[in-house]
Amino acid sequence: MFDNRRIGMALAVPAVLFIALAFLVPVAVLLSGSVATADGWGLGRFTEFFADSLYREVVWRTIRLGALVTLTCAALGYVAALAIVQAGPTWKGRFVGLIVLPLMISPVARTYAWIVILGRTGMANQLITGLGLSAEPLRLLFTETAVFIGLVQLFLPLMVLSLVSALENLPADVVPAARVLGAGWMPVFFRVILPLTREGLVTGGTLVFTGAITAYITPAVLGGSKVLMLETLLYQRVSVSNDFVSASVIAVILIAMGVAAHTLLKRAAKARAR
Amino acid sequence: MRVTGWAVLLAVIVFLLGPFLVIAAAGLSAGDTLAFPPQGLSLKWVYAVFAMENFRASFVLSLELAVGSTLLALLLGVPAAYGLSRYQVPGREIIRTIVLTPVIVPGIIVGLALLRHAVIPLGLSVATALVLAHTVLIVPYAVRVVTASLENLRTDVEEAAVMLGATRLGTFFRIVLPNIRNGILAAFILGFVTSFNQVPVSLFLTGPGITTLPIDMLSAMEFVYDPSIAALSALMALMSMAIVLLAERLLGLSRYV
Repeated sequence: MFDNRRIGMALAVPAVLFIALAFLVPVAVLLSGSVATADGWGLGRFTEFFADSLYREVVWRTIRLGALVTLTCAALGYVAALAIVQAGPTWKGRFVGLIVLPLMISPVARTYAWIVILGRTGMANQLITGLGLSAEPLRLLFTETAVFIGLVQLFLPLMVLSLVSALENLPADVVPAARVLGAGWMPVFFRVILPLTREGLVTGGTLVFTGAITAYITPAVLGGSKVLMLETLLYQRVSVSNDFVSASVIAVILIAMGVAAHTLLKRAAKARAR
Repeated sequence: MRVTGWAVLLAVIVFLLGPFLVIAAAGLSAGDTLAFPPQGLSLKWVYAVFAMENFRASFVLSLELAVGSTLLALLLGVPAAYGLSRYQVPGREIIRTIVLTPVIVPGIIVGLALLRHAVIPLGLSVATALVLAHTVLIVPYAVRVVTASLENLRTDVEEAAVMLGATRLGTFFRIVLPNIRNGILAAFILGFVTSFNQVPVSLFLTGPGITTLPIDMLSAMEFVYDPSIAALSALMALMSMAIVLLAERLLGLSRYV
């Protein structure tokens, strides 16, 4: 609207400069450590990293848990979002509020709750031994299942929220129309609702997947040193072994995984649109 | 189908909020070990938390850090948002992308990069490092939220003010700022909560003696088995919830996010 470019630039410069100096430059230098080898540049650090079966396991676990958490959130999220959208306006607001609420609570507090529930003498084990399902309390903490549960709780709200806004934009009469024409619920979902809300699914899916693969607190607390994911491995490499090279390699892998997930999901959505 | 939908929604809400009720109850236990259901109800662990020196110190640091870095982020973010949405800035999209990139890089990497390639080489203090890291994290939120509220503000009022002889600066302070006040407040609250609950970014930047509350809690979890951490978790959750609910009532926070 105002065409004085210099004022516009001058207003943006402090923020850009700050982000460049306090973020872009340090991160770029850190990431460059992953391609610096003894004799110049190369991908040697990555080959070394993937040669270690322990590290390969961590990468695979991160991708697997990320995908599993995303799929679970998508499945639960669709059912919950459909129910929310069908509720009257007052209840819809209340439900959305209840879904948003946990997002405001410190992830540390939310993760800690699972220790109380899943711990050796926790609620889950009391229930299991009380019902006679097992004589001994089971080891529920420090397992992949515990990390999975914690991550789903952490990121499910993001999926529900994106799906609610996608479903709200769904034309009101397409679902009744398909039903009247004799389609069952499954075909209606897969052939009408899903294709028309894929953008919400992509947004939610990207948020959940990138959130899950880069989560730190949940794997650190609920997985311990037994269930390492890339972030907890990075922390361990730096704080225990001062190994900054592995840290920079992990950083590159994490960022690449996030970008890849984003691109893939976006492309998948477009492909189905045609 | 309908009934299944409601049942799943109910289960989802219980799954999301139930754990919070569990820690709140465990924190109110009268017993000496962490347990649910609690062994009798009392506030003794809530009092105990307030009496713990280290938690008090890290709470104060977290508070100061959250306020300081959010103010700094607004100081950088508000002019940037205004410049980018009101002026023909060459390379606007690139600038916007640069300012928003910190959200796509995992926090732990931001923290480590700052420590290794800025704080250590420049000899900065831990406190400065924490402020820088948290500000990096909040700038994108500040720019996004303020941009959203600027887009809701019609530009003809500003144009009118300028045409009637007001200076650009005067227009900004007397027309624009009062109109985007709610957006700025919303950005402040979001930034505050983000910083206050932040862990990964601060992980490498804290140490013994200077630590934020969530990180202090995280390390205490490894060796504290009494209900104090549960009580503290519940208090923190209540605080964040109260701030956000209040903001929603006063400003309609959700319109900006």
